[in-house]
Amino acid sequence: MLRVLLAKDLRRAWRNPLPWLINLIVPLAMTALIGLVFGGHSDSGALGRIRFAVVDEDKSLLSDFLRGSANQNQGGKYLEPVFMEREDALREINANKISAVLIIPTNFMRNYFTAREPVSLELIKNPAESIHPAVLEELLGAVVTGLNAISRNFQSEFPDWQAVFEGKTDYHRVSQLIDRAGDKLKTAKNYINPPLVSYEKEAPADESKGGAAKGGETKSDAAKNSSTDSVFAFLLVGMSAMFLLFIAGNAMSDLYRELRQRTFERYQTLRDSLVPFIASKAVFAVVMLLLCSAIMIGGGGLVFRIHWQQPLALMTLTVGYTCFAAALFAVLVALMPDERRAAVLNNMAGMALGLVGGCAFPANQLPAFLREHITPLMPSYWFVDTARNLQFGGVNVAWGLVTLKLVLLSVVLLALAAGLFRRRFKMGLRA
Amino acid sequence: MSHLKIERLSKTFGAIRAVDAVSFEVRPGEIYGLLGPNGAGKTTTISMISGLLKPDAGEVFVGGKPFWSNPQQAKRIMGVVPQELAIYEELTGRENLEFWGRMAGLSSSEARSRAVELLEALTLTDRAKDAVKTYSGGMKRRINLGCALLHKPQLLLLDEPTVGIDPQARLNILEFIRGLRASGTAILYTTHYLEEAETLCQRIGIIDHGRLLAEGTLSELQERLGGDRVFVLEADFKDTSPDNWNGFPQRFRIIQKSERQLVVAAVGTRDSSECLKDLLNLPVRVENVTLKRPSLNDVFLQLTGRDLRE
Repeated sequence: MLRVLLAKDLRRAWRNPLPWLINLIVPLAMTALIGLVFGGHSDSGALGRIRFAVVDEDKSLLSDFLRGSANQNQGGKYLEPVFMEREDALREINANKISAVLIIPTNFMRNYFTAREPVSLELIKNPAESIHPAVLEELLGAVVTGLNAISRNFQSEFPDWQAVFEGKTDYHRVSQLIDRAGDKLKTAKNYINPPLVSYEKEAPADESKGGAAKGGETKSDAAKNSSTDSVFAFLLVGMSAMFLLFIAGNAMSDLYRELRQRTFERYQTLRDSLVPFIASKAVFAVVMLLLCSAIMIGGGGLVFRIHWQQPLALMTLTVGYTCFAAALFAVLVALMPDERRAAVLNNMAGMALGLVGGCAFPANQLPAFLREHITPLMPSYWFVDTARNLQFGGVNVAWGLVTLKLVLLSVVLLALAAGLFRRRFKMGLRA
Repeated sequence: MSHLKIERLSKTFGAIRAVDAVSFEVRPGEIYGLLGPNGAGKTTTISMISGLLKPDAGEVFVGGKPFWSNPQQAKRIMGVVPQELAIYEELTGRENLEFWGRMAGLSSSEARSRAVELLEALTLTDRAKDAVKTYSGGMKRRINLGCALLHKPQLLLLDEPTVGIDPQARLNILEFIRGLRASGTAILYTTHYLEEAETLCQRIGIIDHGRLLAEGTLSELQERLGGDRVFVLEADFKDTSPDNWNGFPQRFRIIQKSERQLVVAAVGTRDSSECLKDLLNLPVRVENVTLKRPSLNDVFLQLTGRDLRE
């Protein structure tokens, strides 16, 4: 019976593919759009190196020091500074070849050491990009904070240091200056190493206490090396979860067409149980959702070069989640006889589940009440949190249990949908 | 034994009593017509018989057994043709028939061979592989009918199966239904077309506002009005009161009265010429008198005071 019903829906979809193609194209377009906005892939799975121009109009020892620090050690891994004149730099930014221009103005060192007038570094951001210039702005903020901290602590020494930088002193004085600076740094050591105030970046595994899945305690080396900081993997899972809800709403709205065309009613004149009919719709929707997930999670992974740590577990979990999404919207169709109102309700339900479930924002950034009492109850959170744990958390993520929970919930929801439809029909409320 | 028997079936939606204590039965090889205007309660009655709606009161017996004691068994011997075209427009005629055959419990090969038979019987073989959305209205109606016949039901419920199609297509469908009756199928046929009920049905039930007002064969219903003698008088009946005319209520039953027309049926067995003489002696100046056989519409008029065609 289920096979016959599925074959019928497949034929209908094949003969009238537009609605289904739209369902498939939307995630494809979203993935491509995100790829374009965020600049596509990088080998590390993160943002990629940020190419920016440094215009040194001061040409002093201090500006040399700033220039040099931009592409050394960790800086060299993420930053790709190019040094050029202002006009060339502006030409490059207009040609969209660089993300920003950092200008070190004339007399920067002199004004910094003498405090004769306020000094400022100039940053021109590429308006065609969003993420890279923002990262540079944040970094420059950190540099400015550092320079201010130095000026507060070493202001009394600045005339001597200026002389050193201008080459007007002998090596004995230089060694004395370094010695004094060493003493001051030693005093400050207790405050700056380790820092007195710091933040700790929590692993998602630690967040899940009381949630759907307990994270693993041992982090895999691969996770540490490549994807730990992959913002794309984090975002992609959440966005996919949210979009799958919307697509499930669209897919299950085929039940409205069956109601409108009275074919659901005709089915009832032949069969007493409504479950096979509703289940066939849900299975068909799950197939479509899995195709969409393959595009979003699989295709998105290719675009951003995300190395999924446990693809089989992620796939199984996705099957469970798509079952839940299809069954949920079967219930909503059964609850809401009016198709147009249902379209609004479905979108709101998808949005609410996505937001509260931590799909759009990390769950730990949600308001306390939601985070502690509502979010852990959301199946969207079970999926997103477990999927992120699989990617970032480790090897002992309870994805099997979460999948089972999602599938069981789907069965309950489908039975509920069948009951609601039966009640609605008995009352004479049809499409 | 009748294939379908309903007893005092009732259904209320809020304050509206859609079906009110309706009882009738349909025997094998009989077409029972349920005649009534739109909103009379015909579709609600069929919905209750087919299990789409649960009655508030009353009982439905299918094949001699209460429907709700085993709905699936009752559905197995029943075919329902809904008023709307409940078919898949994207599928071909053959695919629609095969699909509904499978839903009715036929195996794949049974459904395939029955679909071929029905396409032939419905004269749709040459369009069998075309999508239903390319069919004409009449062809869609025929497929809609065929989809209920795959499992050779003993009882067929037809809810206005000829609505919205051209006269030729209607004749084809009516002819097909007569063929089904000849094979022993019991058919419940709802319609608001008088001609269909008169020419197709062996027995007719007249329903209005959810109540079955009368039932019987066409001649039995005509008999209620005075056999074959209905007179249509044309005159100025404004400000007249026929009930007060001397001896008129004893000799004639008023079916309908308007300012320009009075429709009456003769009471008793008097000769038509005597009746005509009486009518010409009425205290109004009669401009025209027509003698005709009473139609179902006259019966409906007499029962409800309204014209079925209104």
